[in-house]
Amino acid sequence: MTSTKRFVVIGAGGIGTWLIAGLARMLEWKLPGSALIIVDGDNYEEKNKERQDFVKLGNKASVKANELTPQFPSTTIIPVPKWVVSDEDTGVSAGDDAPRIKASQLIREDDVVFAVVDNFAARKILFDAASKLNNIDVFTGGNDDLLFGSVYHYQKKDGIEVTEHPVSFHPEYENPPDKNPGELSCQERSKLEGGTQLLATNMAVASFILGRVHKTIVLGQSPDETEIYFDLGLGKAEPYNRKVSQVSQPVMI
Amino acid sequence: MDQSSNQQQPAAGNGMANVRFGVYNQPGNIAGKSVKDAREQFSRLWGIPQDAVAYKGKDKLDENYVIQPGDNVEFHRRAGEKG
Repeated sequence: MTSTKRFVVIGAGGIGTWLIAGLARMLEWKLPGSALIIVDGDNYEEKNKERQDFVKLGNKASVKANELTPQFPSTTIIPVPKWVVSDEDTGVSAGDDAPRIKASQLIREDDVVFAVVDNFAARKILFDAASKLNNIDVFTGGNDDLLFGSVYHYQKKDGIEVTEHPVSFHPEYENPPDKNPGELSCQERSKLEGGTQLLATNMAVASFILGRVHKTIVLGQSPDETEIYFDLGLGKAEPYNRKVSQVSQPVMI
Repeated sequence: MDQSSNQQQPAAGNGMANVRFGVYNQPGNIAGKSVKDAREQFSRLWGIPQDAVAYKGKDKLDENYVIQPGDNVEFHRRAGEKG
């Protein structure tokens, strides 16, 4: 187990801020010397305070990095105040100079990536880039309105997929029903709504992801509970084993 | 041997198979029934959408597929989107 891994969090919003709060502490004490890279092109606004953890207005990546750096001296915290886009992105509208970074330039071998954005389109971009690498862990999570949420862990080792690419079970990753904000114009981005999400569900997604990180990265155990669905209203959580060795069963018709 | 800690394996040979949808997971006496029949039986309890694709492993199942003893049939639940 190396203690100098890069942990790349894409999205410092409703889930991301709580995830980052826990991850910074986990890295500082369990994996000192690691790098925590926070990526987000968006800004904190007053209206975000209901569900998001921040102390200043401004670019999300920069605000969080400035806030956490003095607290966690054994962790190198790096802000990337940019939107993540696909390799094919060429910019969408003249005059929109929002900073962008291609996913393939952002993530690299041996990274642990967290796709905690608010749309499937950006998740697909990150999974597509990750699947071209030989050694990578990608955790993603999201919630619907109210109390339902899910998390997924994609892992690849030595060029072999340990867990299935989520597109195997989720057509929404193949044909996203939404758009990546990083590939929209400023005007289009300003019209996006966060929906009616709940703080508790955002925090639960972050907590489930942290639990998976502790088991599979800190302790180095097998990602058997690859995907977890939960419903806070029902008080239920259900793990699914998406390991390649587990799901490859022939169908007899 | 793969050690699966979370995939319930219903006893084969007694008509039992497993049906899953999101947080729901229930063994039932549904071997011999079609996917369509299983959907109708469980959709009332769990709210499975009519267009939710059924999977066994990562293979998509036809509506007329006859569920076998020991099968794990999973109806697709869309992942959480927002964050």
